[in-house]
Amino acid sequence: MGEFIQALLQHSFLQHALLAGLLVSISCGIVGTYVVTRRITYLAGGIAHCVLGGMGFARYMQVVHEWNWFTPMLGAMFAALLAAFIIGWVNIKAKERIDTVISAFWGLGMAIVILFIAKTPGYGEDLMAYLFGNILLVTQGDLLAIILLDLFIAATALLFHKQFVAVCFDEEFARLRGINTQFFYFLMLALTALTVVLMVSIVGIVMVIVMLTLPAAIAGRFCLRMGTMMAFAAGLCAMLTFGGLAISYSPNLPAGATIIVLSGTAYLISLLFKPR
Amino acid sequence: MSDTDPIQIKDLNFSYGSVTVLENANLSIGDREFISVVGPNGGGKTTLLKILLGLLEAQSGSVSVFGEAPVIGRKWIGYLPQYANLDAKFPVTALDVVLMGLLGKTRMLGFYTKSDREAAHNMLARVGLDNLHNRPLSALSGGQKQRVLIARALVSDPKLLLLDEPSSSLDDYVEQELFDLLQELNRDLTIVVVSHDVAYVSRYVEKVVCVNRAVHTHPVAEIDENIIHEMYGEHVHAVRHDQEHGHG
Repeated sequence: MGEFIQALLQHSFLQHALLAGLLVSISCGIVGTYVVTRRITYLAGGIAHCVLGGMGFARYMQVVHEWNWFTPMLGAMFAALLAAFIIGWVNIKAKERIDTVISAFWGLGMAIVILFIAKTPGYGEDLMAYLFGNILLVTQGDLLAIILLDLFIAATALLFHKQFVAVCFDEEFARLRGINTQFFYFLMLALTALTVVLMVSIVGIVMVIVMLTLPAAIAGRFCLRMGTMMAFAAGLCAMLTFGGLAISYSPNLPAGATIIVLSGTAYLISLLFKPR
Repeated sequence: MSDTDPIQIKDLNFSYGSVTVLENANLSIGDREFISVVGPNGGGKTTLLKILLGLLEAQSGSVSVFGEAPVIGRKWIGYLPQYANLDAKFPVTALDVVLMGLLGKTRMLGFYTKSDREAAHNMLARVGLDNLHNRPLSALSGGQKQRVLIARALVSDPKLLLLDEPSSSLDDYVEQELFDLLQELNRDLTIVVVSHDVAYVSRYVEKVVCVNRAVHTHPVAEIDENIIHEMYGEHVHAVRHDQEHGHG
């Protein structure tokens, strides 16, 4: 741990990594609480895999067609929002079985990224970073993007807190009281999609769901209200990110995977304590 | 009868695809009546409820709620859904739940106001639970949860209270307390209770509406306890409408 603190003071890449982790934790706590209480974990997983497709597409356009402005982060955002909208819309309008629809998108996202990797010369390694995350590669530009998205997510959550709580708890009742529940459902999915994009840079697509759900799930065992659950989950997420980074530093372990193992362990330990 | 009666349904038909759920239904509920809607599962009670709340639209016939289309008139309805449909572990306190009843009335952005919180406290006091306002919903008993949901339904100051199977998970003593509360509320409000238990509710209500594809309204005198015991035996908690028909 001492070695990590020393390195942290010296190296700006570590400072960036830690800052990114702490910033993402805010969104993670807020949106994780929605995902856990509204039970849309699987839906968030579907969105996460569509994000992959968007990143693969963006990378391909950058390299092959020289669309330099079209960064993988931008591609991820487009894909995430599009996927959230389509999955949400199919869920509401088409009365299809939602898990079937999500599975379709889940697989499509994966397949599309593989196709684009195959056709993008020489950039396969970058995509490995998106799959499994590389928090140590966070740039200043990434940090700025994270701050902006964080602000947007936190502000939206604060302004519409009462609507989101009501829609998570009892959507039908909220609708009868004149709340446009479809709008808030889509807004919630959009926030989820944006948070997934944020977390890609920290732990990678494959492990996004763990970070989105486990801190909130631990918090949910002990917190009595949505607001405290969000704050607790965000704090926990920050601590787990910090702890994972610190533990992984000296033995040179992959940071994302270390954070996930730490989170999973924390969750299992929390099950030993009596819930509220 | 007037067109501002709480509920007026004329010649209503509803089907899911080719399955007819309600056929030629007529129903009228007057101001401050205390009505029970009974019928077997799958008989159309829930569909009727959803039509009244504007969540489903009938294929033909007319429905008015306080003289308006249900989508508009429902703002005067306080609704209590079946508790089983809610997440028992959801992180909310009793007061949080009651506040949700004010959603359409309070400001759109930001948190609930001080006067919202006062209104919610008053309503919890009205159902006898203000000392428990900080309790998580999951820590309340079945009867207390129902009272919280009633407070949520009442806090928007409705003219009609619509309760969907409020006593299905309650023991007899708590059920009686609940109906005593409803009877008290009935002085100011029209009350419609959906229930399986025709024998029990007949002690309190004035009319019983039987829903089983057709909709029949019986004054409660026709279904007094003796008849019910004769028809169904001593402890019946379900209605079999095929037998009910003979008295309709």
